Amino acid sequence: MSKLTRRHFGKGALVSAGAALAMPALTRPAFASDQLLIVQWGAMWIEVSREILEMYLDSTGSDLSVTWEQHSGGSAAILARIQAEWPNTQRNIVSAWDPVFRSMIKEDWLEPVDESIVTNMSSIPDLFVQKDSAGRKMTVPLSTAGAFWGYREDILPDGFDTIEDLLRPEFRGQVCIPYPVNLTGLFIVTCAIQRGGDEFNTEPGWDFVKELAASGAIGQICTSNSEFINAMATGLYGVGFWNNGGWFATATNFPVVIKNRMPDNKGFLYNEGFSVLKGSPLEPSWELTNFFARPEINELYNMNLGSGPTHPDAKANPLIADWFYGPDELEQYAYVADFDHLGIVLSDWNARWEREVLPLIP
Amino acid sequence: MPLDRFHKILVLPAVLVFAPLVIGPLILLFQESLRPYEGGSIGGTLNAYLTLSNYTEFWHPTYAKYFLDTFRVSLIVTLLALVLGYLLAHYVVRVAKPRIAKLVLAGLLGVLFISLIVRIYAITLTFGPIGPLRDISWLVGIDPRTRRHTELMVVFGLLHTVLPLVTLTMIGTIQMVNPRLEEAAMSLGAPGWRAFFSVTLPLSIPGIVSAGIIGYAFSISNLVVPLLMGRGFVTFISNLIYFRFSEVANFPSGAALSVIMLLIALGIFFAGTRIVSAIWPPAERSGR
Repeated sequence: MSKLTRRHFGKGALVSAGAALAMPALTRPAFASDQLLIVQWGAMWIEVSREILEMYLDSTGSDLSVTWEQHSGGSAAILARIQAEWPNTQRNIVSAWDPVFRSMIKEDWLEPVDESIVTNMSSIPDLFVQKDSAGRKMTVPLSTAGAFWGYREDILPDGFDTIEDLLRPEFRGQVCIPYPVNLTGLFIVTCAIQRGGDEFNTEPGWDFVKELAASGAIGQICTSNSEFINAMATGLYGVGFWNNGGWFATATNFPVVIKNRMPDNKGFLYNEGFSVLKGSPLEPSWELTNFFARPEINELYNMNLGSGPTHPDAKANPLIADWFYGPDELEQYAYVADFDHLGIVLSDWNARWEREVLPLIP
Repeated sequence: MPLDRFHKILVLPAVLVFAPLVIGPLILLFQESLRPYEGGSIGGTLNAYLTLSNYTEFWHPTYAKYFLDTFRVSLIVTLLALVLGYLLAHYVVRVAKPRIAKLVLAGLLGVLFISLIVRIYAITLTFGPIGPLRDISWLVGIDPRTRRHTELMVVFGLLHTVLPLVTLTMIGTIQMVNPRLEEAAMSLGAPGWRAFFSVTLPLSIPGIVSAGIIGYAFSISNLVVPLLMGRGFVTFISNLIYFRFSEVANFPSGAALSVIMLLIALGIFFAGTRIVSAIWPPAERSGR
């Protein structure tokens, strides 16, 4: 073995120090205007988005370089990551849904947008767009989505008429639900509605959730779309409460019945779409967003997701034709939750779930 | 042994890198844990009076159960890994032919190179409630449809990583024990089992303690295994911390829980090493 001399040591130290000093410059990401970092959900969302990006690059001849980052867990998780880096985040476009948009608008992270910037917004109903306190449009809605109860007909041919049925012994271990902070607490709200409450009066809902937990009905608590899709695919669980994306993936492989027209409950509606973070290269960000908002692209995007398109000229996937409501049904069956309020109470609900519900599961 | 100047210089770069990377974030974490949190905001409120309320919320008795579950399941995993790992390490060092020993080593290292997610799903598909080997849990009296079965899955999931780590650590330890000491004991009339228990095992204690600490630290801090295999029922403290930081953006509460977890883990670590030192004094452990 060669002897370590003072000269060797000195050389090594110099090389190490030089490398350490040079490392930040070497590893610093490029911020060229033709590069975008887009946050998108996994599963079908990222697959169809990649496909649409290829179409955009082919049709425009753009040399735009896009890096995709997938939401891990619920999409609200991206808020903490952006907060940790703000204002130096490298993310440019965030694909999310209304509650996450509300939080980002509250933090003043988003670039305002209107029809002069994203021309294809002109035909998207104004009702779908999230606005800031000054009334400025902050999001480009691409999908009308929802959260519903449902079941796999091949596992439970008789299904259920009301979620009160789930307390019966035959549903033991059959129910797959979201962790209460996923879907921004809509699971607690649906239970509250069941017992005559709403997001502002959730005590009846907590009572129902505790009964459900103690009955042994809860078979799995999921924290992401992928987890729900996998769980429902195992055949272990027949019943679930999840968003239309998770149900759509399940329905493409198994017979699914969506219980969105129960007499004593409601289906939740909200929008998903794109938002652009401040500090992003605006021209490529809005151009790509505008491409996603074109009627034919909006149709393709939602056809793959099992969501309703936001563009009036775009057709919905026939599989989900019955999942959303006609204008005359909205009042009776649809519910649009107050996501600003849910965002405020969510942390308390999380603690309450840990203290009062989880210990009850046998 | 005191460090001479040359060795101090060698240690310096590591100290300069690790001090800001470890101590710096811990200071920030502690600072965040004292900030008040307002529902709906992302992180603690800046420019507000500091508070201990983020700590007091965990006085609720339910949280003691989460801590106990985390430590209990991790202890089961660690003990299983130590027993199985020690036997395997002893076999590799003392019994196996060189080719077999290489195969076992390659297998242990190979497992560590497979993504944890892949291993988790493989275990779930094999031993989970619909897996072909799900009824294996009956061997330990656990109904595959129960919460206990889910806990068993978490144990399997953690063991899959902890066992190779622990075994590889203990292979080095057993290699350091001079086999002639065992031979000397047997030449003086001790049967093989007695030579093992009175010579090899006591001399392996430092390695067993090190391996146990590595395995236990990996288990109690693990997030992915209980998250994906716990079905939302088996919840480790790391999961509670994750939900606070990641899903509801209540950084102060997550930071407070992290600080509590850190203090308890350090307490267990120091208590454990003190107990080991009291039972097996260093001189005895080094074989002198």
